[in-house]
Amino acid sequence: MAKLKDLSIEMFGVKFPTPVLLSSSPVSNTAEMIGRAFDSGFGGVAYKTLGFDKIKIIHPSPRMAKYNYGNKKLVGLQNVEQITDRPLKDNLQDIKYLKKHWPKHVVIASVMGFSEYEWSELAKMAEGAGSDMLELNFSCPHMTVEGSGMKVGQAFDLVEKFTAAVRKSVKIPILAKMTPNITDMTEPALYAKRGGADGITAINTVRGITAIGLDDYVPEPNVFGKGAVSGFSGPAVKPIGLRFISEMAQCSELKLPLVGCGGAETWIDAVEYLLCGASLVQITTGVIHYGHRIAEDICEGLSDFMTEKKYKNVKDIVGKALPHIHPTDAFNLSRQGVAEYDLDRCIGCGQCYIVCQDAGGQCIEWDDEKRRPIQDEERCLSCMICSFICPIDTPPMITFKEIKNKKPVIPPVSK
Amino acid sequence: MKFSNRKSNKLENISNMEASFTIFQALTEASRCLLCYNAPCSQSCPADTNPGIFIRKFRLKNTKGAIRTIKENNIFGGVCGVVCPTEKLCQEACSATKIDKPIEIGKLQRFLVEHGWETGFKPLERVPLRKEKVAVVGSGPAGLSCAAELAKAGFKVTVFEAREKVGGVLRYGVPEFRLSSEFLDREIEDVTNLGVIIKCNSRISSGGVDNLLKKGFYAIFIATGLLKAYKLNIPGFDLKNVMDANAFLETARSKNRYLITRLVKNNNVAVIGGGSVAMDVANTCKVLGAEKVYCICLESFAEIPAAKADLEMARDNFIIIKPQSQVTEILGNNNNVVGVKGTETNWIKPNLFIPSNAKKVPGTEFNLKVNAVVMAIGSGPDSGTVDLCSTIRYKKNYLIKIKKDGVSTFDKDIFAGGEIVRGPALVVEAVADGKKAAKKIIKRFS
Repeated sequence: MAKLKDLSIEMFGVKFPTPVLLSSSPVSNTAEMIGRAFDSGFGGVAYKTLGFDKIKIIHPSPRMAKYNYGNKKLVGLQNVEQITDRPLKDNLQDIKYLKKHWPKHVVIASVMGFSEYEWSELAKMAEGAGSDMLELNFSCPHMTVEGSGMKVGQAFDLVEKFTAAVRKSVKIPILAKMTPNITDMTEPALYAKRGGADGITAINTVRGITAIGLDDYVPEPNVFGKGAVSGFSGPAVKPIGLRFISEMAQCSELKLPLVGCGGAETWIDAVEYLLCGASLVQITTGVIHYGHRIAEDICEGLSDFMTEKKYKNVKDIVGKALPHIHPTDAFNLSRQGVAEYDLDRCIGCGQCYIVCQDAGGQCIEWDDEKRRPIQDEERCLSCMICSFICPIDTPPMITFKEIKNKKPVIPPVSK
Repeated sequence: MKFSNRKSNKLENISNMEASFTIFQALTEASRCLLCYNAPCSQSCPADTNPGIFIRKFRLKNTKGAIRTIKENNIFGGVCGVVCPTEKLCQEACSATKIDKPIEIGKLQRFLVEHGWETGFKPLERVPLRKEKVAVVGSGPAGLSCAAELAKAGFKVTVFEAREKVGGVLRYGVPEFRLSSEFLDREIEDVTNLGVIIKCNSRISSGGVDNLLKKGFYAIFIATGLLKAYKLNIPGFDLKNVMDANAFLETARSKNRYLITRLVKNNNVAVIGGGSVAMDVANTCKVLGAEKVYCICLESFAEIPAAKADLEMARDNFIIIKPQSQVTEILGNNNNVVGVKGTETNWIKPNLFIPSNAKKVPGTEFNLKVNAVVMAIGSGPDSGTVDLCSTIRYKKNYLIKIKKDGVSTFDKDIFAGGEIVRGPALVVEAVADGKKAAKKIIKRFS
C-alpha cells in the first residue's frame, strides 16, 4: 500500500491512529475479530454493548436480512440483533486483551444498563478493564424493556439521568449514542450534554421493514414465522446519518465532538461524514458486506483526498461543509438554469425523453429517425432527472448550466 | 429441468448444451440494459420477440410477464435464444454497444424461457376450440409457430410431418450440442400443450394439399423447408465418402450416428462452406473424434456468414478455417476420398458473395490429405415439393411464389412460409412467417 499521510485525529486527548472505527455491533463482538480489524487499518472500536448477565440475551435465529437492489447486494441490512450475548467477564477480559496488544488503538466500551446503578457499575467495570472511552447505548431499537435502549433515547430526561450517573462514576470520556427514530436529535443530545456527555455518536439503525415474504407475509428476518419492525442500516441510510450529524454540528448550543455512523463504506462516505462535522466514522454494514479490507481503501482514499486538497490533518476537514448547509428558504431563486446536452456523445437510448415526458417538464421531443432527443431549453425545468438516468455519466453528457436572466419555468394549463 | 454444463471448448459429451445463465447472471446482465425508448433491439427481431419489453419486465421483477412477452410473441423463444445469430439481429442494434458491449439478449431470452419451464409457469393458455380446421405441412419453426398462433386463436390445427420426429431443421439440421433434443422437445411441448396435433411419418405427397382441402381443412400452411442439399459439381463429388451437410447432421443425430463416427474418427475431414451449418458439421466432426478438420470457404474471415458463437466454437475446437479458398477437386483412390485439391481465391467484384464472382489466385494451390468431405454450401427445395398442390405457383428454382405480404400464395386458402418461400433463412425468420400466415388465416375467418 502506498505510504499514507498521517490520518490520526484526537478526541478528548485520546489519539485515534485513523478516523475509521468499528461500530458497536456484531462486527465488534470479540477481541479476536477486533484485533484483526486494527491490523487492517481501523483506528478504534466501539465494543459491542455490554450489559449485566442477569438479563440473558439469546439472539433470534436468523437475526439479519438483506436488502438488495437488482443485482446490487446489501444496499441495506435489516437486523434484530441485541446487545452482547457473551458473559460480562469474558467481554471485560477481551477489552483488557485488546488494550494490552493494541495499546495505540482506541477501545470505546459501549454499555447499556436498566437503572442508574447498572449504568454506573458497567461504566466503572469498562473503565477498569482499560477502555479509553464509553459509549452509552441510548438507541438499540430492539430492547423491549421500558427504560432501555432506544426507549431511553426517546425519553430525554432518562438520557440526562443515566449520563449523569455514568459521569459521576468514571473519569474517561463519554459518548452518547443516539437513535434516529425521532424528529430532532439536537434535543436529546443537549440532555446528554447536560448529563455530562463529552460527545455524541449518531446514528443507530433506522426502524423499518425491508421485505415481507409473499407466501407467508412475514417480514424479514423471518424468525420462525415472526418478523418485526427492526433496525435498518447500510448505504441506504447514509443520507439520514449525514443529516443528523450536520444538524447537531450546526447546533450552537451543543458544540460537542461528533462520531458519525450510518452507511459509510468508501472513503467518499467517510469524507462526507467528516465534512458534515463528524470527527470519526463508525462502520458495521460495510464490514458485513466487504470485511475489514474496506479500511485499507478508506484510509488510502482519505489520504489521497488530503493530498489533493492540501490538508495536513484529518481534523481540518471536519465541518467544512457546514457553512454550505442552509435552510431551503435561503436559496437564490432569481438564478435559473437548464439541463445542457452534449449530443455528440449521445448513444440514443431515449431514457431522457421518457422521464422528461412522464416525470419532468415535457421539454424533450424524440427524433425517431436519428434516435436523438430534441430539447426545448425554454421549457426545461432544470430538474435534472434526465441526467440521473443518462447512461453517459463519466463524464456526464447532461450537465446543469445557468442561463442568465432565465425565468422560472411554470408548466402551462393542459389543453 | 436443466440444460447445461458444457464449456464451449470441451465437447466431451455430445448431448450437452452450453450452460444457461444463472438467475443472478441474468439479473446482472439485465441491469446493464439501457431500457431504450422504442428499443432498437425490439425493432431488429424479425419475429417481434420484443427484447426491449421482456428485459424491462424482468428488470422490474415482473419475471412472469417477461416470460409471457417472449412466449406470446415467439413460441420458439427458447430455441431462438439458443440458435439465433443475435449479433446480427437484436444485439447488433443494442444501444449498450456504444458504451461497452451489447446486452446478451439471446442468453437472457433462453434463461427466461427455461426459468418458466423450471418454475412450472405456463404463459400460454388453451382457448375454447372453434369449428375451423387448419392443416400445416411441415413441423419446423415456420410450421409450428403458425400452428401455435392458430391454436391460440382456437383453431383446430393438425401438423403433418414427413419424418419420424418433430422439429424439421431444428431436429435434423442442428447438432445436439447446440440444441439438445431435450430442450427442443420441451419447447415443442409448449406447442402441443395448446392443443396442436402433430402427425409424424405423414408425408404429404403429390397433390396432397389439394386433398387436405377436400377433406375439410379450411386453410393450409405449407412450410416444408429446404430438404435437398446442394453439392458442388467438381471432379470427385461422387466418391464414397463425400456427404452433404443435411445427411451428415441428420445421421449424426440419429441412431445411425456410428456411421458418421466411423467416417470421421481419427481421420481428417474437409468441410466445404463457411456458414453456421458448416461450423456445426466441423464441430460435430471434432466431437466424434476427427483429427484435422478444415473449413474451406470462399468468404474472407470478415465475411464468413457463420454466427459468432459457432465460429468461436470452431476456433475453440481447433478447426482450421481456410477463408478465401476453393476446393477444385476431390481426390480418390478405389472410390475412397484421399484428399482435396484447392486454391486460394479473390473476389472479382466487391460485396458479391457467389462462387462465380471468385477468381483463383495463381501460386496458392494446396493439397490436403483428408478421408472425408462434407459439403455445407446450402440447400434448396426438393423438386418433389412442386407437386404438393396444383393451385399455387412455383418459381423456376422450385421455391413457392407468394404475394407481396410474404406468406399468401395465389390460392386464397393456401399460405406458405419459411425456407420453401425465402430460400435459406434464419429460424427466427421462419417463426415470423408462421406468425404472419396465422394472422392472415385468423383474419380470413373472423
